[in-house]
Amino acid sequence: MKPGKSLLLFFLPGTALYLGLFVYPTLTGLFYSVTDWDGLSPSYRFVGADNYVSLAGDIVFRKALGNSLKFMLAVVVLQTVASLALALRLTRRNKRTAALRALYFLPTVISSVSVGFIWTFVYDPSLGLLNSLLERAELGNWTQNWLGDMKLAIFSVAAAQAWAHIGQMIVLFVAGLQAIPAELLEAARLDGGTRWQVFRRVTWPLLAPAAALVVSYTTIQSFKAFDLVFTMTGGGPAYSTEILSTYIYGAAFTNGTFGLASSASVVFLLLVALMTYLQFRLLRADRVSY
Amino acid sequence: MRWLGRFALAFYAAVVAAPLLLVVFTSMKTTPQFYADPIGPPPAWNFSHYRDLFAGQTMWRYFGNSALVTASSVALELALAGMIAYGIVRSGRRLGGFLFALFAAGLMVPSQVNMIPIYALMRRLGWTNSLTGLVLVTAAVLLPLSVFMLTGFMRTLPKALLEAGAIDGAGETTLLVRIALPLSAPYLAATAAFLFAIVWNDLLFPMLLIGGKDKLTLPLALLQFRGEYVTDYPMLMTGVAVSTAPMVLLFLFLQRYFISGALAGSLKG
Amino acid sequence: MTQRKKLSMLLAALTVLAVLLTACGSSNGNNGVASGSGTQPDGASASSGAPASTGGTPASSGGGGQTTISFLHWRGEDAATFADIIRKFEQENPNIHVETQVYPSDQYQSTAQAKLTDGSVGDVFAAFPGAQFESIAKAGLFADLTGEPFLGNFTDSLIEAGRKDGKQLAVPYQLVYNIPIYNADLFSKYGLEPPKDWDGFLAMAEKLKSEGIIPIAFPGADIGPGQFMNPMVMNNAPADIFVKLEAGQAKLTDDWWIKTLSQFKELNDKGYFQKDVLGTKDQGAGALFIQGKAAILATGSYELAQNKRANPDLHQKLLAPITVPADQAVYEGVHTTTFMLAVNAHSKHQAEAKKFIEFLSRKDIAGEYANATGQNVTVKDVEYASEELKTVSEWMTKKTVFQPRYTIKNAQIQTAVTSSIQAVLGGKTPEQAAKEAQAIVDQQLGK
Repeated sequence: MKPGKSLLLFFLPGTALYLGLFVYPTLTGLFYSVTDWDGLSPSYRFVGADNYVSLAGDIVFRKALGNSLKFMLAVVVLQTVASLALALRLTRRNKRTAALRALYFLPTVISSVSVGFIWTFVYDPSLGLLNSLLERAELGNWTQNWLGDMKLAIFSVAAAQAWAHIGQMIVLFVAGLQAIPAELLEAARLDGGTRWQVFRRVTWPLLAPAAALVVSYTTIQSFKAFDLVFTMTGGGPAYSTEILSTYIYGAAFTNGTFGLASSASVVFLLLVALMTYLQFRLLRADRVSY
Repeated sequence: MRWLGRFALAFYAAVVAAPLLLVVFTSMKTTPQFYADPIGPPPAWNFSHYRDLFAGQTMWRYFGNSALVTASSVALELALAGMIAYGIVRSGRRLGGFLFALFAAGLMVPSQVNMIPIYALMRRLGWTNSLTGLVLVTAAVLLPLSVFMLTGFMRTLPKALLEAGAIDGAGETTLLVRIALPLSAPYLAATAAFLFAIVWNDLLFPMLLIGGKDKLTLPLALLQFRGEYVTDYPMLMTGVAVSTAPMVLLFLFLQRYFISGALAGSLKG
Repeated sequence: MTQRKKLSMLLAALTVLAVLLTACGSSNGNNGVASGSGTQPDGASASSGAPASTGGTPASSGGGGQTTISFLHWRGEDAATFADIIRKFEQENPNIHVETQVYPSDQYQSTAQAKLTDGSVGDVFAAFPGAQFESIAKAGLFADLTGEPFLGNFTDSLIEAGRKDGKQLAVPYQLVYNIPIYNADLFSKYGLEPPKDWDGFLAMAEKLKSEGIIPIAFPGADIGPGQFMNPMVMNNAPADIFVKLEAGQAKLTDDWWIKTLSQFKELNDKGYFQKDVLGTKDQGAGALFIQGKAAILATGSYELAQNKRANPDLHQKLLAPITVPADQAVYEGVHTTTFMLAVNAHSKHQAEAKKFIEFLSRKDIAGEYANATGQNVTVKDVEYASEELKTVSEWMTKKTVFQPRYTIKNAQIQTAVTSSIQAVLGGKTPEQAAKEAQAIVDQQLGK
């Protein structure tokens, strides 16, 4: 059944805007990766692949790459598992679930800069919420230097990132769960399946598109996370929370090497593209069968 | 096992609520009171910071600007992305796949890359101090996200209905407006909610593209509280509270549409 | 079906509304609303301290003879003071209107860069010395101010930071000392005086610790390393050591930096910093000092005013750790001249911009600025009113060196240096931390 010609008109306005105000500037920005532009001067020179070579040997870049991967893994695991687990208990439509979903969603509407401030205080070693509560609960030796311990800091920031977005993912999962026809679930249960079996055989496969969406969106979001890291740690201590996006910012604006920043962006894009592709394949989201 | 689930819900509710209470508490302390006791409840319910914030007419102006930019951007976004998502779902593999990839690719671009080029472009177009320009840039930058999400959702729409409508002689526009959009209602609401929060809190593009004092949006205005080395936390938290409250109210209002607009309706019927 | 219909109508309404609003928005944007000089919401805004700019919309020059110049800087806390000063300036120069834009210092770098290049914003702007100064100079964005008469209003030695190749490109306005603040009352309570050598410094810290006071509140997570490293290194190496480092003639693995790192480690190991030093930010360290739990705050004179506001009973003074025996000490402290005022080379209103800087350089205006904001200035013969400002101005007679950290022109190297301090506080040995930092320096120099 051939779709109508007016479809092309549907595409027109949005695509035009997109190409003009997004794609074109992005391509220009990426073009600078083969120059030595510093972001300020009116002139620059072509340097071919020099920036890429520098990048490969750059100690800080390598650290940023490793940290980005660590950060991403921590956020994706924490966020996906927590939001799915909570969503499973929130599919019923009553006042309580509505209220809880609204509460969980609240952190998402707060700007990430504010989230950064709030969690910096929560993590403060002497005056913060977390350590104070642990002390009062007689768990004093569980207190940590959350943002100052070089091995722990990145995970502390990851927890804050997850906190800010779990509510968002819950909404997606709930929509996906509510789309599963109740008859299928009833039938499976009547056939004698345990809760786990029902989940694995019926719920999970049908949830695949929502899950794929959640995982890939979280991945990209965590790679791009900038405001949070910038506000909470600035990349420290000693580069332990330096991720790709803060590296790019530093290269572009603090060090005056816009060309290098652009080359790092190209690597960034390729990396995220690869991850997203792999995830979609893994979750087999393009096959939704009833 | 049921108690485990209940416990998890209650625990996470506390995890969400505690830091937010901290915001409210802090906004009600004077600076010395804050330093004396950073995390406890305030000694008194002190609304002086809120009063100071709204003292000049200017705060309402910034509220208005934020509301204007956010509402315009989101509405524009839903319209444009909705049409594109529908088109992608209805098109063949080649065209649909290509367009989807084009938009989805945009998701991966970090803002640092196109920040300066976008500013340069807007300067050439003469749009560096206009709210219209800001709305257009915001809409453009959010298209990857919106198209990505809406396409994913619209793919789950029952093809049978659309085919039936087409056979009955309906044109694409009719199909879109009378069948696809109503069915997508909960998804549009969900997307709208996400977009609202993103645009309302956006700092980057307003910072770059707005110059005149009368056009400041709320987050930009609140930046003033962050001085070079002075961070007036009670005032800052007041600002956070004030700028978050409208979002909270709006979400609560839209929430009803989430719940009631279940997709299963059309399948059952 | 009714609820879905309702929603689609809602969406349709929103879209129509959006189109209408956008149309209204664009017409507001395109008509330049003439700035009403008389009635402005400035009175209210000055008291709430909220808005960044003063009055009106940016109307370009021409038509009615009114020129608008734009003033770009990062000190949001000075907004009200500048508003008052600008009002006076505009009274004296009725055909010039000043519009201010403020971005906090951590965003200032990125935003200023984008906006300065086209010359439409920042006719007058502020710059940081060191790396930012160099990069803006390289881009040719500074208008040459050499020979301007108002330069004579400044103490000559204090405006050196704005000079390059013999030309005066920017004029530093603020004078700060990057040495720790101490609580004078706590010191006198325990009979302590600012020590004159390293052993004395350790003994003082030990005494405070034994009395249950945190000797030094150190914001290890953000500004601490970059600030405290200055007095720690000033007597361990010659003043141009970092210039030599960037020329490849000195290394971080040499004695001078190993010694500095070891002294940091010594302070930390002996418990003279607060617990979990790397997790504490400026706000947290400040809170400890303001509450009287810590005797010394390892930041700088720029925080004197805000500490006093938070706790009016504080009596504060400045001291610097002397890391060598008293007879080997060359410098007593570290100063920086910052908030460098400059004129944008691409500006179309350079004459008006210079007038504004001239106005700011008058000693009564500079005095008004200093007394209102609590920051010392580089202008000559200013009368300081507050205790804190006077304390700082006492240091002008002492022998101080220009902030060593700002002599590092390469920002990556600067970060590597401060990171090595964090690494040592996190448990690495000085040798290991220095080696890793030097690797980054070598890489940067190899370019």
